[in-house]
Amino acid sequence: MTGPPAELSGARRRLVRAQIELLTALVAAGPVPAGFDPVRVAVQADALQAKRRDVVARLHPDLVEAAGAEFRSRFDAYARTHPRPAAGARADAAAFARTLPVAVTTGFDGRRRRSSRWRNRHR
Amino acid sequence: MAAPGLDQATAALGVGIGWRAEIDLSVERLGVDFVEVVAENVCTDHLPDSLRELRSRGVPVLPHGVSLSLGSAEPPEPARLDRLAACAQALDAPLVSEHIAFVRAGGLEAGHLLPVPRTREALAVVVANVRAAQDALPVPLAVENVAAVLGWPDDELTDGQFLAELVGRTGVRLLLDVANLYTNQVNLGLDPVAALDELPLEAVGYVHVAGGVRRDGVWHDTHAHPVPPAVFDLLAAVCERVRVPGVLLERDDAYPSDAALAAELAAIRRVVQNAGAQNAGAQNAGAQNAGAPP
Repeated sequence: MTGPPAELSGARRRLVRAQIELLTALVAAGPVPAGFDPVRVAVQADALQAKRRDVVARLHPDLVEAAGAEFRSRFDAYARTHPRPAAGARADAAAFARTLPVAVTTGFDGRRRRSSRWRNRHR
Repeated sequence: MAAPGLDQATAALGVGIGWRAEIDLSVERLGVDFVEVVAENVCTDHLPDSLRELRSRGVPVLPHGVSLSLGSAEPPEPARLDRLAACAQALDAPLVSEHIAFVRAGGLEAGHLLPVPRTREALAVVVANVRAAQDALPVPLAVENVAAVLGWPDDELTDGQFLAELVGRTGVRLLLDVANLYTNQVNLGLDPVAALDELPLEAVGYVHVAGGVRRDGVWHDTHAHPVPPAVFDLLAAVCERVRVPGVLLERDDAYPSDAALAAELAAIRRVVQNAGAQNAGAQNAGAQNAGAPP
């Protein structure tokens, strides 16, 4: 039994609040919600960040090459101020590429052309 | 012979592998019984040649969704359901699968499968979400247990109890990931065998196995390392209890040679056959005993 509709909508309201609180802590540097183990939250936050970085790196080894040894620090700095776009990992990679200074992307083969191709493919 | 409660379409999937574009030719050469494809990576208008080739050979291709977010507070988005349904139709799939997890909330994207609070109240929401998905999909849905790094403070049910209730109320099938059970054992101290006791194993549509690596005491379910003995043991424990329609190897990175993949698939097949034989023996013994006076 799912219960009456009012009960379900109340459950949805409480659940969304709780999920937003946790997700804000995990991906937007929000405070750890009450009752959660801060160490576990930190481990999960790091894992999400690492996964996000790895997915971009795998989709676009050219970006890793362009950023060189600074890829990780540059991506992490970008990720701190740019939440993961709803459009997905390709949009994430394109947005990250746009934050790289021209000096870093010198020699990066047609960033602008590639970005527009990603957009076309995922429109 | 079909296991009870399962229709002919999914009664015998066999042993399969996750199809990935990077290993498309390998997958074709391996001669697997079925494959799974990440639904979000399939453009239904332009199916990859490799998937068309597999379909032409009669190999079932199951769409596996990762972004429906059935564990979200909001009902699943109709556009995402339509896409998954179109994917199932384009592939003529016997069933589709997703996860019991949430991946977004309030405009934020996790990019990963996060656990749902295992409360009775959250269960009611997930039940409603799963029913909405079932109504929108042209084929049966199987839902997967996820690996978690953290637990919610207000959890009332175990993962097994939560999924058992969900199955009981919706008739949804299970995609049982034994590597995720193992991950939760190492990282959260949860007993995987207790989970098997609680789960309605007769609802299992198929099973996932995958490899990972232990670093600093934490198990990382990487899908990029060999399947460890403990995961094979859990697969055996499942197969000793129930005849599973299918078992699928997930490999997502650091792809080994065709020979190594074939060896891992053969190992899965051996586990299923050996444990299945024990299961059949136990059932026969049970049937004989049933006729005898106590």
